[in-house]
Amino acid sequence: MNVQQSFARRGFLRGALATAVLAPMGGALASCASGGGTTAGPTGTVSDTNPFGVPDNSTVDAVIFKGGYGIDYVDFAGSIFNKNHQGSTAKINPSTAISTELQPRFAGGNPPDLVDNSGAQSIGISTILDQLEDLQPVVDAKNLEGTPIKDTLYEGVLAPGTFNGKLVAINYVLTLFGVWYSASLFEANGWTPPKTWDEAYELGEKAKAKGKYLFLWGKEAASYYLELALSSAIKEGGDEVRVALENLKEDSWKHPALTKVFEALDKHVKAGHFKPGGSGTAFTAAQAQWSNGQEALLYPSGSWIENEMKDQTKADFKMTGAPVPTPSSSPKMPYEALHSGGGEPFIVPSQAKNKAGGKEILRIMLSKDAAANFAKTKLAPTVVKDTVPADGFGSTALVSQTKMLDAAGKNVFNWQFLDLYGMNKDVLVVWNAFLDGKSNAANLANDMQKMSDKIRNDSSIKKVEIK
Amino acid sequence: MSLPPPTAVLEGGRKAAIQSRRKNLTFDKVSFMAVFLGIPLAIYLVFVIWPFLQAFVYSLTDWSGFSPNYKFVGLDNYARIFTDDQFLKALSNNVILLIVVPLVTVVLSLVLATLVTVGGSSKGQVKGLRNSSFYRVVSFFPYTIPAVAIGIMWGQIYDPSGGLLNGALNALGLNFKDYAWLGNTNTAMWCSIFVIIWGFVGFYMVLFIAGIKGIPAELFEAARIDGAGRFRTAVSVTIPMIRDNIQTAYVYLGIFALDAFVYMASLFPNAGGPENSTLVMSQQLFFTAFQRGQFGMATAMGVILALATLLFSGLVFLVNKLTGGSEGGRL
Repeated sequence: MNVQQSFARRGFLRGALATAVLAPMGGALASCASGGGTTAGPTGTVSDTNPFGVPDNSTVDAVIFKGGYGIDYVDFAGSIFNKNHQGSTAKINPSTAISTELQPRFAGGNPPDLVDNSGAQSIGISTILDQLEDLQPVVDAKNLEGTPIKDTLYEGVLAPGTFNGKLVAINYVLTLFGVWYSASLFEANGWTPPKTWDEAYELGEKAKAKGKYLFLWGKEAASYYLELALSSAIKEGGDEVRVALENLKEDSWKHPALTKVFEALDKHVKAGHFKPGGSGTAFTAAQAQWSNGQEALLYPSGSWIENEMKDQTKADFKMTGAPVPTPSSSPKMPYEALHSGGGEPFIVPSQAKNKAGGKEILRIMLSKDAAANFAKTKLAPTVVKDTVPADGFGSTALVSQTKMLDAAGKNVFNWQFLDLYGMNKDVLVVWNAFLDGKSNAANLANDMQKMSDKIRNDSSIKKVEIK
Repeated sequence: MSLPPPTAVLEGGRKAAIQSRRKNLTFDKVSFMAVFLGIPLAIYLVFVIWPFLQAFVYSLTDWSGFSPNYKFVGLDNYARIFTDDQFLKALSNNVILLIVVPLVTVVLSLVLATLVTVGGSSKGQVKGLRNSSFYRVVSFFPYTIPAVAIGIMWGQIYDPSGGLLNGALNALGLNFKDYAWLGNTNTAMWCSIFVIIWGFVGFYMVLFIAGIKGIPAELFEAARIDGAGRFRTAVSVTIPMIRDNIQTAYVYLGIFALDAFVYMASLFPNAGGPENSTLVMSQQLFFTAFQRGQFGMATAMGVILALATLLFSGLVFLVNKLTGGSEGGRL
């Protein structure tokens, strides 16, 4: 009884399985996850107040990274949009994982109209380059006050979003990099931020005498010291250093300027100017040891640092930024030259249903009211000039940013290759080992060169030429 | 008395039964099959088997993940993966986890389960240690904490300057000031393994307790009367009787060890630990897919991960069978 019955059941199962496997095979294999072609979408009439032709009664679907800056600044622009375009609505949706959340929508051909592609899980821009709208018309358009937007922006802020000559992303937040310190602590001890690595070494020794360190780091942010090294080397050796690195050239990490910087850093490591144990410390904890515990004097970071550590900064710390030191006192670029990057890159996918709406929101954000609102509520400048008053809303960091920017003038630079080729993970491994004293300047250069060579020689990775 | 051979009677009866069943495909039976067999099967095929097949197809392409376009590249992705030193490093890390995590967790939870069920006083009724229900509840606690929280919490405990561990060691007079447990290649992997085991022991202990409770108490009593000590009882009575539970635990823990994403990603955010000493395949897969935009390559890694899991499960079943376990076991 038993055996026969189970055979009968298995027969049924097998039949069912076979049909079920075969049925969807034919049709679905061809379709897979791929979506439809380009959608033109309806367009409205183009006018001075509606330069991109936002259709009437349309909705704009925006997905905004919800990180340190929140999404209320886009909501602010959204409400202006709703007012200016009667019947249309802007839907601003937050996301903390842009890449994983939007991957199916990009693959399926129905991406949002506006995306803030930011955060640790942002989409690698090189993978979607040819699916993005050219945003040149946005900066060519006039803002709500009637001035062409491109005339209102800081120098060099469009470079980080330009790939192969096409402006695909507008970085909304102006981020500049430097070394940050407590002005009150420096004043009390008569210290000044170092302009050369020799001065930095002296300062490190002085810090040691006071029982402090010069630098500290956290495991997820060891890459900030790569930023410091690159800024320093580019100032020392000029733009050729950057161009070679950007294009993954052979021996680009062996450039004399970089070698000097690596050696200077190595000297600091060996002299014990770095607080030990950083490779096992969470970066937020490490940063608090700097801003609250004042265990180290300097911290290399982007200008977001003040906002990030707001709740963990010692009273009267007076956080201030300074340009990074250089190996020699006569670098090719002046000491005041700055690495100015952008934060919060906004993109408009070509396949979006309401591209005009996405661009219109960007235009509103780049106009005076929204930009001033951002600077005021986030204590960070946008790429739009003249939104921060002289007192920096009472923030010393913000005042020093404006000063640094004015002093740098046209001497601003930026690099894209680290993000472009998703190198952060490998960089962290190499730099944690170096800052820990387990490597040296020569090994560091070798490791970085190997990383660069591996990408260059991998034909499956699409390369972008950067000028 | 001449009865027909019993088998013949049964044979005939069976045939008749089958025939009558075939004839009577009533609505009742058909709808029953549709609901209890057809629907689950369809769901299984659409949501399990079909994605598996799709993943395999994608692993043969250069799909970026973000565009509808891709072209087939044959087995290129696989060739690349097996020459990529980082993936191989991740694979070897997974193998370490695979060897250590299930073994230690199973042994440890088995010991604990034995202690709280049959490890008590050797006089009178077979019972566990005093206050065993308290230990049982306490050791289950870690399992109720989400893995991410466990990772973050232990990250703090291991912190070089403010961490609990270094604080305790320093208080004992040992000089562990600023020693980065998670920052050194010698300790990072073992510290992570400890965290994982810490998180799992309680659950498997409870699993084994349920198994041991299912063993008739007479067996333990008989063994005791025969003069078996606690260790001998555990080896000769408990383990053979809950063999299937142990096999199940081993397979589950092995599958987990081949993944280990959540723990590793929360202990070492954005990277693979010092010199990639804690990088696991699933992390490499995630980075490849979402940071490098190489979904084709990433799905190929996924396929390898799936095959490794199957291979491991098969191995566990085989070992259990060869060492005389019940046929097939149950999962």
